[in-house]
Parts: sequence; structure tokens; C-alpha cells
Amino acid sequence: MKIKQLFTTRVIILLFLILISFLAIKPTLNTEGVAIRSVDLNSSAAFAGIVVHKNLQPTDYERILEINSQKINSLEDYSRVIDSGEEKLMITTDRGFYTLLNENIGITVDRPASNNIIRGLELQGGTRALIQPSEKLTEQEYQDLIDTMQNRLDVYGIKQLVIKSASDFEGNKYVIVEIAGATKEEVKELIGKQGKFEAKIGDEVVFNGGDKDITFVCRNDGTCSGIRSCNEVQGGYQCQFEFQIKLSETAAQRQADVTENLDVNVSEQGYQYLEKPLDLYLDGVLVDSLNIASDLKGKAARDILISGPGIGASQEDALQNANDNMKKLQTVLITGALPASLNIVKMDSISPTLGSTFEKNALTSVLLAILAVAVVIFIRYRNIKIALPMVLISSSEAFLILGFLTLIHYNLDLAAIAGIIAAVGTGVDDQVVIVDETLGKESANWKERYKKAFFIIFAAYLTAVASMIPLWTAGVGLLKGFAIATVAGVTIGVFITRPAFASIIKVLFNE
Amino acid sequence: MKLDAFLERVYEKNYKKLIFASLGMLVVALIILGINYYSTGSFIEKDVSLKGGISVTIEKENLDEIEISDYLNQKYSDINVRTLTDLSTRKNIGLIIESSGIAEEELKSVLREKIQFDEGQYSAEEYSSAFSESFFRQLIKVLIFTFVLMAIVVAVTFRDFIPSLAVILAAITDLLVTLAVISLAGIKLSSGGIIAFLLVIGYSIDTDILLTTKLLKRKVGTMYERFAQSITTGLTMTITTVVAVLVAFIFSTAPVLKQIFLIIFIALIVDIISTYIGNASILIWHIKNKK
Repeated sequence: MKIKQLFTTRVIILLFLILISFLAIKPTLNTEGVAIRSVDLNSSAAFAGIVVHKNLQPTDYERILEINSQKINSLEDYSRVIDSGEEKLMITTDRGFYTLLNENIGITVDRPASNNIIRGLELQGGTRALIQPSEKLTEQEYQDLIDTMQNRLDVYGIKQLVIKSASDFEGNKYVIVEIAGATKEEVKELIGKQGKFEAKIGDEVVFNGGDKDITFVCRNDGTCSGIRSCNEVQGGYQCQFEFQIKLSETAAQRQADVTENLDVNVSEQGYQYLEKPLDLYLDGVLVDSLNIASDLKGKAARDILISGPGIGASQEDALQNANDNMKKLQTVLITGALPASLNIVKMDSISPTLGSTFEKNALTSVLLAILAVAVVIFIRYRNIKIALPMVLISSSEAFLILGFLTLIHYNLDLAAIAGIIAAVGTGVDDQVVIVDETLGKESANWKERYKKAFFIIFAAYLTAVASMIPLWTAGVGLLKGFAIATVAGVTIGVFITRPAFASIIKVLFNE
Repeated sequence: MKLDAFLERVYEKNYKKLIFASLGMLVVALIILGINYYSTGSFIEKDVSLKGGISVTIEKENLDEIEISDYLNQKYSDINVRTLTDLSTRKNIGLIIESSGIAEEELKSVLREKIQFDEGQYSAEEYSSAFSESFFRQLIKVLIFTFVLMAIVVAVTFRDFIPSLAVILAAITDLLVTLAVISLAGIKLSSGGIIAFLLVIGYSIDTDILLTTKLLKRKVGTMYERFAQSITTGLTMTITTVVAVLVAFIFSTAPVLKQIFLIIFIALIVDIISTYIGNASILIWHIKNKK
């Protein structure tokens, strides 16, 4: 048999690229344990020496295999052991052994990846917000906006997020925020609002959020921040949070200047307060009014206690609400206001289960579609020598596109899957043309005609590529995945898989 | 009977009528779209991704679409409920609720009154109308750009007025008839749907270029023999794609993919008519005129 002849240069190039795709995608069966996705600064995991390097491939994360000699095979196993109250954790990973205190562990874990294909938000679940500043920003303000947002989400403790700028060809500029595993409400609260904090006495602003006025914000430390009281009120419960901040000298002086001229009132209980309270506003809404003790009159006090309420139907709800409000307020006090108020123009939150259903069914349908094509091809030609190479070449085309997307770190989304299907569809069509032209009656001067046909093939190719370019940016690239997959697919088709297919057919039918 | 003989018998006498049959299909589509435009102000109904609004998915098995739909329609006017089906397990796995008039929080709390669901079962997409309208405008520009590019490529390839026009006419027929069919079926166009139309332009000209090349540029065999060859090759191409998108339509769950596959499916069926009845008849007429 002429198996050796099949390995023409074109086929070898194809095989080589398949190998590269395979190495990029790196399918692995070894998915024991849970993957360590991130480690917090100053956590006991960080002290124990667990490090997560940046820009790791999904299959390269260190995996926890055992904790305290108990096998960890799922996220449930992990949280069960962590929550069991053991004082010390002895963690065995695929790379080492660590001992740490079961306190402020600071590890975020996830299911281990079985390959390096990065799934986009639609497939893995999460929240994506497309945000537009309400006014035109300068380049610098725009950068500040992104930095502040990034900072805010970091401070708030949200992990696995992407913040990037984007624009479309109508000249609109946007910020895209993508977060795996955060609720929509949190994202809306944190970045959908400007976060402009003002502390006023009367009409005078004493200090704002941000490090110019506030040099220190106490958080995660029970001695200077926390929930101080919970009471039953009409229709539910109210809890009061409290945390300490430190003002800069100029801000403290400003406060002294304002309070200097205030009179002292005496309350019914005999406490002495200044006549006007310190009003705390967040985005123009009054959060709380704090009475100022009379002995602070005219003093440049730098330590200030900030407080505010949280309400809920049950005490638990009120407590949660107070905690959330405290965390939000602390965050904006640290990061300051965004340079402009923002509009969320598009917001998606996809539940992880819906995402994985979409993914599973999309991939199943791709495989079934290829199978269905194979059946049609077999019925038409009744020749396995044609049907088999066609199916193999088409599948390899899909695989090469996936490999390419993985190599360029593009997140696979539904649009990209549609692009892969489209490219494979075009590939099959062209293979049909090649077979019919090669094996048809007129096949005597086949080379001649292949050259002529090449002009049409190439023109069609350029049209396809050119028409995808505007799609790159249309609607801030929401359909970019489709454009990339299609361009990659038709390019691979024209330059790699189709020539390989033609040469296989030539050898098999002894041209 | 052999295919070429059959084609000769049908087309030799009727090619002029067949041109009008294909044109008639285009005219009917234009009338339908015109009626749409006259009565609603747009040619096709757009979904929330293109006009703004919210789309909520609740992933829970065996929810009663009709009950929920009736309940919501009593409260709101502009609401649309669909079932999400997983055909590989043949189960109703959830509901998709779309509306352009309600705030997401409100819809969520109204839904909670009827359906018990937790956060993990709830997905929502929200589009501001300004963004969606701009998105739509941009996609239409992309579509027009692609169409013009295609027309230029066709014109340069054939450098012959009538055949180029015939190919472009076939592509227009594919696009507009498909648009009319999906509007009749009550489908709301999504951003994915516009992608599908981009693909349709590509698929449409593939078979037309093949046909035109065979009929005009090749000289081996009679015209009808070449016509028959082009049908065999072209139909194989179309049928493989039709079968592939049909299977993909049935087994995919994501609504955006489903619409892409459905539109390609309809357009390819239309394309069989526009290519082998419309375009082919024009070419036969053109060849006979030249002689």
C-alpha cells in the first residue's frame, strides 16, 4: 500500500500543526484534587510558601491532593476539611507539602482544568458589565477610571477579574469588567456607582474618600472595625457598623476650622454635642449623621469613627446588610471616587450550570454535525477513501482553530464556537469541490484548472477575511470570537488543510 | 433518466418563466417585509440584544411555560417566554423570559412569586437601549460592507455584467426571503442572527460562483451536462451544510447558536431555489442571447 506516499510535505505540515495544537490545548486525564487559583497576601497560605504565578495555563495550577491525610477530590471535600475546625492543615499538593494554620487561609480553589482551553464567561459562568462613562473623558482620566475600578475590586476582595477598555467604530469608549464568581449586585454596587464620598458639616465639605484626605481605614480588625449593635426596630432589625479612619492633617485642620464656629447643644440625656452633625454622603445619599462631641470643637482631631446602619427582616439579614454596607464604604473611602459617574450599558450574569450546559451541548452538536456530514458524504460518494479523509481533515480543522485560540489566549465563547462551525462548513464545501473537480470527467488537465480555481478560492478567502475585520470592533467586540475563529478557520483551510486534503486525494486515487 | 436530459427538458422551454418564479419569491418577500415595516416601523422584530431590555434565564426542570407566560402577561404587556430544551436528554431545562419594559430587579421579584429558584439557577442579560441600537446599526453596517465586498469580488471574478448581477441578485434573494420567513415564523432577530446573515452571504455566493464558472467558463460537454455536474457538486455542498446546521440546531441549547443555525438552514433551502432556478435560468438566457 502507498501509506508512505501519503506523507507529502503538505500532510506533514498539517500533522506538525496538529501536534502544536495538541501541546497548546494539552488535554490531560490527571485531574485529581482541586486547583489553587489564588493566594491572598499575608494569609497563612502565603506564609506557608504557597505561590500562584501569574499567567499560568489552566492545567498548570498547583493541585491540592490531600489535607490532613484526607483525599481531596472535589470542592466539597475541600470545604468540608477546611470547615472541620482542625487547628493545623497539612496540605499535600502535586508539587509539595505545606503546613499552615487553619485561620485566614487565603486560598481560592477551583476544579482542576482538563485542558488549556480558556472558557469565556458565557461558558464558565460569571458576570460581565459593559460600562460607559457618562461624560467624555481624557485619556488620563480614562486610565484613572480603570485603575480605580481595579483597585476597588481588589480592595473589596473580588478575584479572577478582567478589566479592559474597549471602543467601537462609532467612536464610543467603554470599560469591560468580567468577573467569574461574583454576583451582579456586588459588581453593580462597586463599579456602577461613582463612589463619591463626602463628609459634610452643614454645607461645608470636611473630607472626601481617597488617600488625599484619609490616610488609614481600619478593616478586618475587630478592635477598630465591626458591627457594634443590633436592635429590633419597626418592621425588622437594624444593626450599626463602626470603623475607624485617620484623616490627613489638612483634612483634620479643615474640620477644626468648621467646628470652631459651631455652638454647643445639650441633649435630653445631658450629652453635649455641637449644633450641627457630621453628615456622611455616598453618591449624594445621606448614609449617616454623626453627632460631634463638644470637646472636639475647633480641634484638629485625626481619628474619626465612621458609622452607618444595615437593616433586614431578621437580625441575620440586618447583620449581613450592615457588614456589606461597611465593606462598601471602606472600599470607597480607600479608593476614592471614580473620575465620572458611569452607566452600565450591558450586564450579563450567567450561572455556571447554564454555562456548562451551553458548552456541553454546543460541543456535542459540533461532533454530531461532523458525523452527519460524514453520512451525507458517504451516501454521495459511497467511497470510504473520500469520506474518511474528509471527516478527518474537517475535524483537524476544528482542532487547529481551537489550538490557535488557546495559543493566543482567547476565551472560547459561543460566538467563537459558531465561527468554528462556520469555518468547518466552508471547509467541507471546498473539499467537495476539490473531489468533484479532481475525480470528474474533465480531470485530464486538473492542475491547470486548480490554478484557475485558485483565483476564485483566494478572492472568496479575502472577502471572508475582509468582511470579518469590522466585526472585530463592532459592538465593542462582542462578536470578536466569531471573527477570530472564522478568519483563523478559513486561513487554516486555504493554506493548510485544503492543500493537504487535495494531496491525499491525489495519492489515494493515483493522480 | 439522466440528470442533464431532465434539466434540458425542464429548462430549455421554461427558463424565462423560471426567472420570474425566483423573482416572484423575492417580490413576495419584499411585500411581507414592506407590510412589517408599514405596520410596526421596522422590517423585522428585534430581540433585546438589538433593541435593549432584559433576558432572564431560569434553569429549572419542567417549568410550565404557558402558566408563567399567562401570569406575566397579565401584569405586563411586553413580555416573551420561551422554554429552554436540552434535546440530548429531552428535558425542559428552563425558561427564558425577555422584556424591554421592566427593570431586572422587578422581574426577578415577580418571578419569585411564581417560581422557587436560587441564585445559581438564575442568569440575566441586560442591555441598555442606546447601546443595543448602536450595536444594531454597527452590525447592519458590517452586513452592508460584506455585501458590497462580495459584489466587488464577484464583478472582478467574472468581468461580465449579467452573470455578476445574477449572482448578486441570488444573494439578495437569499437574504431577504430568509428574513421574510423568519419574520413570518415570529422569530425575533438577535445579534447572532445577523452573524448568520453574514455567513449566508458567503454560502450563497459559493454555489453561484461554482454554477457560473461551470456554465460560462468551462467548455467540456454540453451546457446541460455542465449544469448537471454543477448541481451535483453544489447540492452536495448545500446538503452537507443543511444537515450539519439542522443537527446543530436540534442539539444545541444556547439560543444565540440556535438562531444562527436556523437562519442558515432556511437560507440554504432558499439558496437552492435562487441558485438553480433563478441564477441558472438567467445564465441560460444569457448564453442563448450571446449566440
